[in-house]
Amino acid sequence: MRATLGLPVLLLLVALLIVASFMLGAVPIPLAEILKIGQADFAHSFTLYQYRLPRAVLAVLVGGMMALAGALVQGVIRNPLASPDVLGISNGAGLLAVCFITLFPQSSAGAIPLVALLGSAMAALLLWLLVGRYPSETRLALTGVALAAFFAACIDFVMLLNPQEINTALLWLTGSLWGRNWVQVQLLLPWLLLVPVALLLVKPLNLLALDEQNARSMGVNVPLVRFAALALAVCLSGAGVAVCGPVGFLGLIAPHVTRRLLGSRHQLLLPGSFLVGAILLLFADLVGRVIDPPIEIPAGIVTAILGAPYFLWLLFRIK
Amino acid sequence: MLSTENLSIGYHGQVIVKDVSFTVPHGKITALLGPNGCGKSTLLKALSRTIKPVSGHVYWQQKDVQNIAHKEYARLLAMLPQVQPIPEGLTTFDLIAYGRSPHNGFWGRLSQKDRAVIDQVMAASGVTELADKRVSELSGGQRQRVWLAMTLAQETPYILLDEPTTYMDLNHQVELLGNLRRLNHEGKTIVTVLHDINQAARYCDYLLVMHNGELVAQGTPAEVINQKLLKEVFAVNAQIFPDPVANTPMCVVDD
Amino acid sequence: MQNTKSLSSYPALLAGLTLLLALLFWWSLFSWSAMNISARDALDAVFNHEAGNIAQTIVRELRLPRALVAIVVGCAMAAAGAVMQGLTLNPLASPSVLGINAGAALGMALVTTLGLWQGAFSTSVAAVIGAALAWLIVMSLGSWKAGGQSSRLVLAGIAVSALCMALTKALVILHENQAVAVLSWLAGGFVEARWPLFGKLWPVAVPALLFTLAFAPTLNLLSLGDENASHLGVVIWAVRLLGSALVLVLVGWTISLVGAIGFVGLIVPHVARKLTGYDYRRNMPVAMLMGACLVLLADIVSRAIAFPTEVPAGAILALFGTPVFIYLVRSRI
Ligand SMILES: Nc1ncnc2c1ncn2[C@@H]1O[C@H](COP(=O)(O)OP(=O)(O)O)[C@@H](O)[C@H]1O
Ligand SMILES: [Mg+2]
Repeated sequence: MRATLGLPVLLLLVALLIVASFMLGAVPIPLAEILKIGQADFAHSFTLYQYRLPRAVLAVLVGGMMALAGALVQGVIRNPLASPDVLGISNGAGLLAVCFITLFPQSSAGAIPLVALLGSAMAALLLWLLVGRYPSETRLALTGVALAAFFAACIDFVMLLNPQEINTALLWLTGSLWGRNWVQVQLLLPWLLLVPVALLLVKPLNLLALDEQNARSMGVNVPLVRFAALALAVCLSGAGVAVCGPVGFLGLIAPHVTRRLLGSRHQLLLPGSFLVGAILLLFADLVGRVIDPPIEIPAGIVTAILGAPYFLWLLFRIK
Repeated sequence: MLSTENLSIGYHGQVIVKDVSFTVPHGKITALLGPNGCGKSTLLKALSRTIKPVSGHVYWQQKDVQNIAHKEYARLLAMLPQVQPIPEGLTTFDLIAYGRSPHNGFWGRLSQKDRAVIDQVMAASGVTELADKRVSELSGGQRQRVWLAMTLAQETPYILLDEPTTYMDLNHQVELLGNLRRLNHEGKTIVTVLHDINQAARYCDYLLVMHNGELVAQGTPAEVINQKLLKEVFAVNAQIFPDPVANTPMCVVDD
Repeated sequence: MQNTKSLSSYPALLAGLTLLLALLFWWSLFSWSAMNISARDALDAVFNHEAGNIAQTIVRELRLPRALVAIVVGCAMAAAGAVMQGLTLNPLASPSVLGINAGAALGMALVTTLGLWQGAFSTSVAAVIGAALAWLIVMSLGSWKAGGQSSRLVLAGIAVSALCMALTKALVILHENQAVAVLSWLAGGFVEARWPLFGKLWPVAVPALLFTLAFAPTLNLLSLGDENASHLGVVIWAVRLLGSALVLVLVGWTISLVGAIGFVGLIVPHVARKLTGYDYRRNMPVAMLMGACLVLLADIVSRAIAFPTEVPAGAILALFGTPVFIYLVRSRI
C-alpha cells in the first residue's frame, strides 16, 4: 500500500466495519434501514443508539488503544515478540480488576480503570524486576508469558473461589464487548487524551529504532523516551483492559500488520496501528457475533485464534 | 573388517564426500588427514552410521552396516564425535558407565566386569580422580578425556576418534597417542582424525588423506607424505626430513 | 564413588515418600467432609468394612476412588513431564507448558460439543489425538536439541496452548451457551472421581507408567546427545516416537477423565533430580511418588480452601506451579 494512501484506506475500512456492525447481530438491520438514520421513520434507533453504536465506538477505542500500546512497546524494546498482552501486562490489569470486582461488588464501575491501571503498572514493574535491563528477545517474551500464566492462574483461582461472580467476571475477562454501553465509553474518554501524547514521541522513537547510540547523539533523552513510551503503553492497555478485559494478541499483531502495510516510520506506524487495532477488534467482535447468534463468542477469543498462529509464525521467522 | 565402496555422503541433498572407497586396515592405527571442512567428520559419521550415505555402502565383513542391528553395531564400533554436548548434572562416573550400555541388560545394571572395565578405562584416560565431579564443571581437556574414556568403555574392536587431541595440552596429547598404541597392541583397530601431520606420521600405521571430499592418497606415512601432497592438500611448502627419534617422515614448513 | 555414596539414602528416600503418600492417602479419606468422618472410620472402611455404616460407605464409595485417581494422575503427570524433559533436553518441557494439555482438551471439546463420534472411549481417544497434534506442531517449530533453541520451543508451546485454549473456549461457549462452563472444563479436578472413573483410568495409566519406568535407561542415554546415544545403540527416531507416544497416552488419557492437571509435570521432575541426581532410573520412581503426593495434597487443599464448596485441584496446582515456572525461566534459560 502506498504510504500516503494508507491511512485514508484504513479509515475507510473502519467506517465500513462500523456500518457492518450496525447491521449484524441478533436482530439484523438491513442497510436500507440504516441509511434512514436520523429520519423520522427510523425504526431501530433504540437498538442502534443504545447497543450497537456504543459497542462499535468501544471496539474502535479499545482496539486502537491496545494496538497503540503494542506499537509503543515494540518501538522501545525493539523486540518483535513484545506487547502488553504477551508480556502479561494485560493479565496483570485483569487480575487486579477481578480481585476488586469480587472483593467490592458494590463499588462504582468508575474505579475499575484505575484499579486495572494499577494492575498493569505492577505487572510491568514485576517483569522489569525479573528480566533486568537487557534481556534477549526470547527471554523477555518467555518471562512475560510465564508471568501472564501466573496472573491467569490467579484469576481462575479468585473466580473459582467466588462462583457467584463468575459469570460477569468471565465475560469481562475473555475480552468481550457484550453488554457494553455508553457508560464504558465515558470511562474510556479521559484516557483517550493519551493518544495525542503518544504522537509526541514519534520523532525520538524513529531515532531510537535506528540505534540507541545514534539517538543519544541526536539529542534524544533515551531513558526518558523509554520510560514515557512504556508508561503510556501501560496506561493505554490498562484502560482498554478495564473496559473489555484482556484481548489476546491484539497488541502484538496490530503493529506488525501495520508495519507491513505502512512501513516502520512512527509518523504512520502509531496512527496506523491505532486504526488497524480498531479494525481487528471490530472484525473480531463481528465474527464472534455472527457465527451462531444469539450466542456470542467473546472478541478476545477470536483475536487469540487469529493471533496465536501469527505469533508462531513470528517465532518461526526470528530463528 | 570395515570398508567402504563408492561411498558418497551429504547433508540436505548436497554431496560433501564423493565416491570414496577404502578398507580400514585391520589391527592398525589409521589417521584421517585433511584440511578443515574437507569432510573428515562427515566420513566418520557415515562409518559410525550416524548419517546414511547418499549412495554407496559401508561394509562390516562384507555386510552392509545398514543391515546390522543398532545394538550389535554398538558392540563392534565406538566413536568419539568431534563436538560433545555438555550433559547436565551427570558425574564423570555416570557418563563413563553409560558407555557400558551396549553390553549390559536393559536396566543398565553394572556387573562386576562392567565396574572393572570402567575403573580400567578411567585409569587409562587419567580421569580416576574426576569420578565424582560433574562433567559440566570440568575443563575442555578434562572433558575430552572423560568422553574418550566413555568411548573406550564400550570395549569395541574398532574405535573411531574425531580430533581427540583438541583441547588437550601437549603432555596429554602424547599420552593419548601412546594409549592408542597400547590399545592397538591389545588388538584394537583405530581410526582417528589428527591435525598434526607429524604426530600422524609418527604414531599411526596408515594414513588416509582427504581433500574437498575426495580421498586423494592412502598408504603408510612413508608412502603418502611428500612435498607435492602437502602443497596440493594443505597448500604449504614444506620439506621432509626423517624424524630424529622415530625415523618416520617429518615435515617442516618453509616460509 | 557416586553410586555407593548415596546408596543408603536412596531407599530411605523412597520409603519416606511412600510413608508420606500413605499418610496423605489416609488423611484424604476422612478430612474436610460435609458429614463427620473420623480417622478411625477411614481405616475401618478400608480394612474392616462394616456394612450399613454411612461414614464408612462414604469413604468406600467416594473418598477411596477419589484418592486413588489422584494418586494415579499425579504419577502420570510427573512421569510425562520427566519423559518430555528427557526427550527434548529442555528443563521447561512439560505437558502444560508445551501445549499438550490444551491440545488434549481441544480434542475432547471437539468430540463432545460437535458430537462427532460417540463410543466408549471416544473422548479419551480424541484427547490423545488432540495432544498428539499439538505436540507435532510444537516440535516442528521447536527442536529436539538442548541449548539456544530451548526458549523457542517453550514459546511455541505456549502459543499453541493459547490457540487450543481459545478454540476450546469458543466451542464450549457455542455449545453450552454460558461462560461458566468454560472454567469447569478447563480446570481439572477430582469431584467426579468414583469407582467407574478409576476403572477407566488405571488399565491404561498403570501399564503406561510401567513402560515409562522401563524407558528410564534410554532417557539416560539420550542425555548424552543424539550422536553419542546412537553410537551406544539407541535408535533415536524410534525412541522419540515411543517416548512421545507414552507422554501422549499418559496425558491424553488422564485429561479426558479428570481435566487438565497442570504444572505437576514441570515442577516434580526438577525436585526429584535435585534429590536423587540426573539418573532417570533413580529419579523417575521418586518423581512418580512425589507427583502422587503433590496431587493428593492438592486435592485435599481443594476441599479445604473454601469448605464446604470445592475449588478444582487443577486451579490450585496452577496457582502454585506458575511461580515455579517463572523461577525456572529465570534460572534455566
Ligand atoms: N550438519 C551439517 N549440515 C550441513 N552441512 C554440514 C553439516 N556438517 C558439516 N557440514 C558441511 O560439510 C562439510 C564438511 O564438514 P566436516 O565433515 O565437518 O569437515 P571436517 O571434519 O573435515 O573439518 C563442511 O563444508 C560443512 O559445512
Ligand atoms: Mg571435523
